[in-house]
Amino acid sequence: MGIEAILIINKSGGLIYHRSFDVSKTNPTGTTSKHSLNSNDLLILASTLHSVFVISSQITPKALQLSQSNLNYTIPYHPYVGVKNPEKSPRNSIPNKYGSFKGDDYFKEPFHSWNKSGLKQLSTDQFTMYIYQTMTGLKFVAISSTVLPSHNDSETNMMNNSGININNNSSKNINALQYNLGSQIADNLLRKVYCIYSDYVMKDPFYSLEMPIKSDLFDDKVKSLIDNLL
Amino acid sequence: MPHQQRYNNGSMTNNEAIERQRQYEMFQESLPKVNKILFQMILNEIIPLSVRIENQLTQGNEFQNDTKLDTLGDSSFDKASDLDNITKLKDLSINAKANSETHLGNISSPDDVLIYKLSQSVDENENKYNNILKRIRDIGIKIGTKLVNLLIFTNNINLNFKEMDLLLIMKFICRDVWKHVFGKQIDNLKTNHRGTFYLTDLEYPLLQSFCIETNTIPSQLNEEFILNKESKLVEPFLELPVGIIKGVLLSLGYPLDEVICLATFIDKPKERIKNSFPKGISFHVQITKSFLPQQQKQ
Amino acid sequence: MSKSRSSSLSTHAANLSSKTGANQSKFFKTFGDDIWKNKIEKVNAELFIMTYGVIVQQLCQDFNNDYMKINENLFSMGYNIGVRLIEDFLARTALPRCPNMIMTSEVITKVAFKVFLNITPVVDNWSSNKDTFSLILVENPLAEFVDLPHDAKKQLWYSNIICGVLKGALEMVQLDCDIGFVSDVLRGDASTEIRVKLNKILKDEIPLGED
Repeated sequence: MGIEAILIINKSGGLIYHRSFDVSKTNPTGTTSKHSLNSNDLLILASTLHSVFVISSQITPKALQLSQSNLNYTIPYHPYVGVKNPEKSPRNSIPNKYGSFKGDDYFKEPFHSWNKSGLKQLSTDQFTMYIYQTMTGLKFVAISSTVLPSHNDSETNMMNNSGININNNSSKNINALQYNLGSQIADNLLRKVYCIYSDYVMKDPFYSLEMPIKSDLFDDKVKSLIDNLL
Repeated sequence: MPHQQRYNNGSMTNNEAIERQRQYEMFQESLPKVNKILFQMILNEIIPLSVRIENQLTQGNEFQNDTKLDTLGDSSFDKASDLDNITKLKDLSINAKANSETHLGNISSPDDVLIYKLSQSVDENENKYNNILKRIRDIGIKIGTKLVNLLIFTNNINLNFKEMDLLLIMKFICRDVWKHVFGKQIDNLKTNHRGTFYLTDLEYPLLQSFCIETNTIPSQLNEEFILNKESKLVEPFLELPVGIIKGVLLSLGYPLDEVICLATFIDKPKERIKNSFPKGISFHVQITKSFLPQQQKQ
Repeated sequence: MSKSRSSSLSTHAANLSSKTGANQSKFFKTFGDDIWKNKIEKVNAELFIMTYGVIVQQLCQDFNNDYMKINENLFSMGYNIGVRLIEDFLARTALPRCPNMIMTSEVITKVAFKVFLNITPVVDNWSSNKDTFSLILVENPLAEFVDLPHDAKKQLWYSNIICGVLKGALEMVQLDCDIGFVSDVLRGDASTEIRVKLNKILKDEIPLGED
């Protein structure tokens, strides 16, 4: 999964963090890709996304809403997403420190998704966008350059947490699996970005809540998380 | 600096020393603990708290009756800055008791507003600024003195307070005090053996999560200015370890007015800059000469 | 979802809703214990106690024993810590939203207090409509070696910072609560009790998509 950008949107829909990563193999450092938007466009993107998120939770079909208790909102744990696998790295390498999170990974168990009926994934023929929302209203967005196979020959599909494609093209079960897997890995990744956020942004007394994040440390940690994905 | 051999008075064999060291470590493990994050957050909260206290004290003098106070801080911080407009957060309703009583006022200002205002007030109201720094230092001094009491009674065989001269005391600060409070030792200690010491901490733990804006400052401003601005913001936070050092020295026999302690930023070697606060801290400690000769009678 | 899959997940927080009350309680306890043991860096409690004591001492000195102001300042300090600490807690535990105050109280006592202070207060004194409860701190790490002077005994809530932290944290998860001390052993009372009363759920602030 090649992550092109990470965005963080606050409770009111304002963009508080944006970072793009160049996916091309020749230049793996975090330079802006050729499709980068200017900052104004990004703000518009963030607030549009926020509103679409809200709207999508309203258009969830009634049938799904009523059968909620049967849905499983667990996100399985995918080991070492964005983090060096200690079994694979050389024996005498220094163990990585993940801020205040002891151990070789930020967390190691499946976890609950707080995003029950909001937008989780947006796939197009150019990119796939994943959204992870926290209980405090913060949205972590990852834009990935991997393109999932489409259900029809054209454009945009949207789906909510139940993994049911709204177009209801049931012959593509394998696609559904792919969609789910991508979404789960993205959730694992974005929860780790949340962990980094809680370490480097929350513990900084200079940071004002809901304001843009300007921390170099946070930047570096997110970058190393993304770098480890490749 | 090998842990065991430091203050060995020579009367114990090496095996005994190792055994007692192990017992000491087991004892330390068995003591009740709390979450380190909480501890560090409280230490860093001391700085905004000091600002809040100062605001309330001076406000109390200026206003005789309990009128509604300015929600963004002391009204004498009048300089309107962009920050004021951006960081006007919603009012925090604070309940002083269980049967709710909201109290508005500068007590409700969030921390970041207080810290930014503090750094702005350096020029305007030097007296107030110094008061706040002094308060932070005082808290540090109290922590330092009490800390020595705690450490004396931990039964650490390596500490032999009776025979400590100034150099050993400074080493005690660098190793034990720093290790206990901040989780790491001081990186470097230099002395001229005449009462002046330089303690260098390249990664002072309480600052590691701090970030200073670097990418929004217009490029016309030269680096000097930016560095100055950043340093001013972080300066108050350095008063705490300064106070701790002075407090430790105080309780080991060096009165406050005989000790000068200053903290400054220093550059770090390039390899260590990544993933941490870009500057290290150097503490310059000086014991005034008049006090030294008395300590050398042993 | 097949039965075997659901049982393998039953040890995880994600499957909370399928557990009964007693099982839930037990789950929270093991969950909190596990995080405390393995995932947290710790410092000696005495350092923490001593630092907090110094802070209260400085407040008493500065405000000349005006205990009302001191209580407010402690609360305010706690509030500022609480709004930030909650993100750390959520990122670390990813626990689902509590459907009622009963579960909220379980999470607070068995997970939150355990992870941060290594204590487990007891929940008691529920109101009839189950929106108010008391936390009884059997051991209070902050006040371990503290003896209050006479006039403080009548007015100072020594551990008021805890109330502030709770209020800040709960507000960030859209629960507007009144939190305050009811009694304190430092004051000569029989127990240390904090009362938590839900005022309202900040419905318009709940992130959409959670229902």
